[in-house]
Amino acid sequence: MTSTLKGITLKGSAELVAEFFSFGINSILYQRGIYPPETFTRVTHYDLSLLLTTDPKLKSYLTNVVSQLKEWLFECTVQKLVLVITCLETNEVLERWQFDIECDKSAKESSAPREKSIKTIQHEIRSVIRQITATVTFLPLLETPCAFDLLVYTDKDLVVPDKWEESGPQTIDQPEEVRLHSFTTSIHKVNSMVAYKKTESA
Amino acid sequence: MDLEDDTTILTTLKSFNSFISRPEHPQRLSEHSAGSGILQSQYKRSMELLEAAERVHSKNRYLQLDQEKKQMELSHKRARFELERAASDSARDLEHEVDRNQELLGQIKKLEERAEEVNKKLTEQKEANDALQKNLEGLNKTLEERDDKLGTANQTISSLKDEIRELRQKIQNQDSKMSAQTLENQELQEKLDLQQRKYQEVSQLCQSLQAAQSSCSDHIIKIKELERRLVFQEQDFAIVKTVKSEVARVPDLEKELKRLRDDNAYLRESRENCSLLKEEVEGLRKKLERMEKTKEELINMELEKERLTEKLHAWENLGQSTGLNIRKPEDLSREVIQIQQREIALKEQNYTLNSRVRSVERSQSELRAELTQQHSKTLEEQKKREAQDALVRRLQKRVLLLTKERDGMRAILESYDSELAPTEYSPQLSKRLREAEDILQKTQSHNAEMEAQLTKAQEETGTLKLQLQTAELELESLKKQQASATDSNSLLTKEEVTILRQKIEDLERERQRLEEQNNILEMRLERHNLQGDYDPVKTRVLHLKMNPTAIAKQERQQEVEALRQEVTRLRDLVRSLQSGGAVGHSQDDTHNPSFSLSLAPSKEVLDLRKQMESSELRNQRLKEVFQRKIQEFRTVCYVLTGYQIDITTENQYRLTSVYAEHMDDSLLFKKGSNGSMQLMETEFSKTLGEMVALHLHHQKSIPAFLSAVTLDLFSRQTTV
Repeated sequence: MTSTLKGITLKGSAELVAEFFSFGINSILYQRGIYPPETFTRVTHYDLSLLLTTDPKLKSYLTNVVSQLKEWLFECTVQKLVLVITCLETNEVLERWQFDIECDKSAKESSAPREKSIKTIQHEIRSVIRQITATVTFLPLLETPCAFDLLVYTDKDLVVPDKWEESGPQTIDQPEEVRLHSFTTSIHKVNSMVAYKKTESA
Repeated sequence: MDLEDDTTILTTLKSFNSFISRPEHPQRLSEHSAGSGILQSQYKRSMELLEAAERVHSKNRYLQLDQEKKQMELSHKRARFELERAASDSARDLEHEVDRNQELLGQIKKLEERAEEVNKKLTEQKEANDALQKNLEGLNKTLEERDDKLGTANQTISSLKDEIRELRQKIQNQDSKMSAQTLENQELQEKLDLQQRKYQEVSQLCQSLQAAQSSCSDHIIKIKELERRLVFQEQDFAIVKTVKSEVARVPDLEKELKRLRDDNAYLRESRENCSLLKEEVEGLRKKLERMEKTKEELINMELEKERLTEKLHAWENLGQSTGLNIRKPEDLSREVIQIQQREIALKEQNYTLNSRVRSVERSQSELRAELTQQHSKTLEEQKKREAQDALVRRLQKRVLLLTKERDGMRAILESYDSELAPTEYSPQLSKRLREAEDILQKTQSHNAEMEAQLTKAQEETGTLKLQLQTAELELESLKKQQASATDSNSLLTKEEVTILRQKIEDLERERQRLEEQNNILEMRLERHNLQGDYDPVKTRVLHLKMNPTAIAKQERQQEVEALRQEVTRLRDLVRSLQSGGAVGHSQDDTHNPSFSLSLAPSKEVLDLRKQMESSELRNQRLKEVFQRKIQEFRTVCYVLTGYQIDITTENQYRLTSVYAEHMDDSLLFKKGSNGSMQLMETEFSKTLGEMVALHLHHQKSIPAFLSAVTLDLFSRQTTV
């Protein structure tokens, strides 16, 4: 939709970022094997072959979160999105994918679209998603059954919507951190990083 | 023949004894009836007769026996001949038999070999047979399979045929249905035509109805309009009423109006007066304010006046206080001028003194410099002197060493000289001496070098010390200069400068420290930010209540609980099986009616149990049958033979006769190791001693003995 327009509006930027999160979360779930690979189907986006889940419960959960996230991105009240992977047996956090969001609040007041081509944004997003796929090489194997959770860091004065509740930050004890590429739509800037628990052999 | 002889002898003896006993019997009788004397003579006679008869008899007998003996010997010899012949014949026969035996053995062996071969062939044939049978079985199985397949195919064919039939029937049914439906269709069409005609009529009626309705609605509209008009009229009526009531109030209102106008005029007048009065009030207020201001000014002025008068007094008293002749300000100015002049003079003096002081200081510093130079020179001289003293000492030491060496060498030389005369090692000694001298020279040169180095080092240290002392002196002089120069006001500024410099250094150090801390804290903050920490004042962490982790945890808990329940249930089942398995099948069911599901897999157990029960039943039945048969057989034996045979202990058999007089009259037989039966002593058997002797010892026949005992007992039973 925004590709037909000339510039990036706040709404368009929010949609782009939310779309990136939806594809990114699906890629992470597929790469880390949280859900079985046969439940994923291939689609083409950002000139890449990406995987989306077909599990209906998971799909509905993700659409809920991403739609709420889109609203918050439009209001510029969200600071971070975190995907936490916990081991079901020991209840400890094994991996933490953190996306820091910096919003240019001046774009709210002025409604003039900003000049940034969609191609460059897509190119940047592509590099981030390629990096996520490449992290498989150094991330430790998840041998036990795991489950994931999505946490959103928002401003304190925000009204908590129905069905959402407060939770802890769910940090890892003595993690190894790796920073990935970032991308910006000239209104929102997203920094990506992954933190994982060091394995005992290391 | 002997036995026969024995039996004949026995029979003759028995007959003779019986003969003897018979006459005794009547003799015993005659004794009892007749008198004793007659009897005795008769008896003697008879006895003599008897004896003679006996002798004759015995002689006869003896002759007969002799004859018989001879006959017997003859016959014996004949018999021996015959026996020998027979023996030889039998030996020949034996040889023949042996040969035949061997031939037969050979034949037997051959036959055995053939039999073995035949057996082998038989086994081979059997194996071939088995193989063929297996093939046959295989073929049979394939045949059966094919038959089964054929059967299934046939079944499918038949089923398909049935299906075809059914489908045909369905088609027929559907055709019939179709025809019925076409008929229905036609009927419906006719109905439809009817309906259409009705519809047209109805539509006409409808139209008429509509026309009526429209007229109706027009009427209704008219009615509504009239009703509205009525309502308006009612409203107008009400309005008219109110207007009337209001009109009634008009004269009162007019009166009030007049009154109000009068009040109004009066109030206007009063307002004008009011404004005039307000103006006056304002004017008076302003005046009051001015008056107050003037009062304040007055007060201030009075205060100032007092102050000024005081000052004046002070100024007037100055003269008295200072002790000068002052009455007027001119005197004061004069005094001031005088003081100023004095001051100027003093300042001039001060300047001159300062210049003198400076010159004196300069000379002092010069003198000091000279003094330091002199000090340094003295130090140098001292150093030189010390060096010289050290040299002198060293030289003295050297001299001492040399003298010692010389003495030592002299002693050595004397010793060598003393030794040289008796011995003749002079060349070697001289060589050694030269070598020693060389070594000594070398050491001396070395020593000299070392001493030279030492002197150099000492000189250098001396010079350094000199430099240090000169530097110290210079520093002291500078300090003194500084101390002298800081008598003026520049002292403070220099102190301030040093203080400020120190402060600057401290601040610089703190700044660096704070910069480092800042860097560290920024790094830590960055790290925490990376790890996901947040400032709880500004941010909040949210997540959906129904998130996959929570759902997964719930499912896991449910799984765990379900598994626990299953585990408890299986434990109970295992316990019940362990306890109920020993008892039996039916009791399991009564104990655990809900575990019928778990017993299903143990079909094998049920089958085995059934087999076991059936085999036990069979065993029981067989036992009963055997018991019955044994019982029958024993009774039959008892009845037919007349003896009840019981086994008391191992190999011991007790026989009780049918016709036994007492219950415990029994015979005991024991089976020996070689298989022969032996009679054991019992009370009953003691009474049968004759029969034992006759049948067992003589005839060696147990059945005869037993039958004799039976006959004896039977005879006793029937006679007695």
